Amino acid sequence: MTIFAVLSKAKPEWFSAKGQTTGAFNGTLFLAFFLIGVASTIVASEFQHGTIKALLYRKYYRGEIFASKVITLFLFSIVNYVLIFLYTLILKFVLFSNVALDAKVGKTTVLGQLGLDLVGSFIGIWLILALVLLIANLFKTGSAAITIGILSYFAASILQIAQSFAIEKWNWLKWNPLNMLNVGAQISDSTFKSVTKLSTPLLTTGSLVYTVIFLLIGYYIFKKRNV
Amino acid sequence: MENILEVHQLSKHFGKKQALNNVDFTVGKGRIVGLIGPNGAGKTTIMKAILGLFSYEKGQIKIDNHPVSEASHQALAKVGALIEYPAIYPYLTGLDHLKLNATGDATTERIDQLVKQMKMESYINRKAKNYSLGMKQKLGIALALINQPELVILDEPMNGLDPQATKDLRDVIMSQAAAGTSFLISSHILSELEKLVSEVVIIDHGEVIKQATIANLNHQENDFIMLKTSDDAAARTSLAQVGITTAEAPGLVFNQTPSATLALVIKTLVKADIDIYDVVHQGEDLEASLLSILHNEKKEA
Ligand SMILES: Nc1ncnc2c1ncn2[C@@H]1O[C@H](COP(=O)(O)OP(=O)(O)O)[C@@H](O)[C@H]1O
Ligand SMILES: [Mg+2]
Repeated sequence: MTIFAVLSKAKPEWFSAKGQTTGAFNGTLFLAFFLIGVASTIVASEFQHGTIKALLYRKYYRGEIFASKVITLFLFSIVNYVLIFLYTLILKFVLFSNVALDAKVGKTTVLGQLGLDLVGSFIGIWLILALVLLIANLFKTGSAAITIGILSYFAASILQIAQSFAIEKWNWLKWNPLNMLNVGAQISDSTFKSVTKLSTPLLTTGSLVYTVIFLLIGYYIFKKRNV
Repeated sequence: MENILEVHQLSKHFGKKQALNNVDFTVGKGRIVGLIGPNGAGKTTIMKAILGLFSYEKGQIKIDNHPVSEASHQALAKVGALIEYPAIYPYLTGLDHLKLNATGDATTERIDQLVKQMKMESYINRKAKNYSLGMKQKLGIALALINQPELVILDEPMNGLDPQATKDLRDVIMSQAAAGTSFLISSHILSELEKLVSEVVIIDHGEVIKQATIANLNHQENDFIMLKTSDDAAARTSLAQVGITTAEAPGLVFNQTPSATLALVIKTLVKADIDIYDVVHQGEDLEASLLSILHNEKKEA
């Protein structure tokens, strides 16, 4: 984040100060990778070190252990998003006194846009984290889960053109989970609707539903697992 | 006598392979029971089923009269275990592990006492990733004991321990058992359990062959003699011709009975022109008893 902030200070023609501020100085990008790593590690390392056995043979139910992992990750991600928000504000005050928080950005303000960006990114990353937890439980290794997590982080944008063609042709495809990965982009920029063909509330609900579905499948695998 | 653990008609498949077949045994309160059998016999699988780590198709497991399965874990609050290899986080110290796992009152005192008893003071504050196999194994056992469980399940606990550490562990187990804790301990090496257990459950190919007290085992006719000859295969054939069966062990092992005496064996071999290099009397220890049981099982089959 600091690097992007300093760069946009030094080379305003590369990165706009306003755009960087509303985009939390790319903090969410790095946070996404970090959280994907954490999510896969807190599951896979238990299998790798065999410590999962020691957790499971106690009086706890498997659901409690799975839930404790998800809740830990959830709180951890919230804390990190709050930190990013605060750090963005600090960077702004230190480096960019010319960017006013209440300056207009489209229909909202710089602060409002920053908020939308973070919320959108949060909902989007949880869709991916749920998938990562599922994969980590399935394969018991972190690398597969991390790879798939990072791929799906980029999948929406890489496959965007192909996907929008497909959705034009088969309208129901707009409900596929890949389309839901656009939720972050659409929350921060509502013109994305033309790509996803879903209203922002529907897209948000859709990705929350997929998040829950992935978590439930992950839980089911975890429950049935012989360790 | 009351039982802390009851395993009844337990069966489990892995795909087509039948890993456990109607396994039946009990562990009485305050007893130390050995679960003994060759590698692949199903010892670890039984223990994992008891701990709710494996599902099973058929049977019943009760701990202190409460049923246990993958989906019902309440009774496991009374159990401590070490299965396969110790569950250790590499970046925590031994002490961290104990603190993390200890619940209830006076945890600090209990940890101190256990560390001292198991002679782990010198490395308990080091990160576990630098531990030797034996140190990890000891830490794993300490973790199984830390919450003063009523039943302790140890899967091949002597693995990787040197003779001194083995003795330390034996002393710890003995003193815990004297205080009323029950143990189920598996091993494929009989001699290491012989000094420890009061009862054995012998298992092979997923079936319980026998549950007996050590005293009972030793009362059987198990006078085993092992020979080294110039041609074991030919010796086997000649002995079979006079009606003496030999166990499928390394070397030539037979069970001395009134009809199959050492004298007869030697005469037979000399007649067949086979040289005898060595005769070892295996005596009446646990090893011989197991051999005899496995031997008899083969005869019956
Ligand atoms: N997770 C598993 N999947 C398939 N087969 C298994 C699994 N665990 C154990 N087995 C098989 O079950 C049998 C018993 O294994 P195990 O209980 O580990 O034996 P032991 O601990 O007595 O050496 C072996 O034939 C083994 O190959
Ligand atoms: Mg085993």
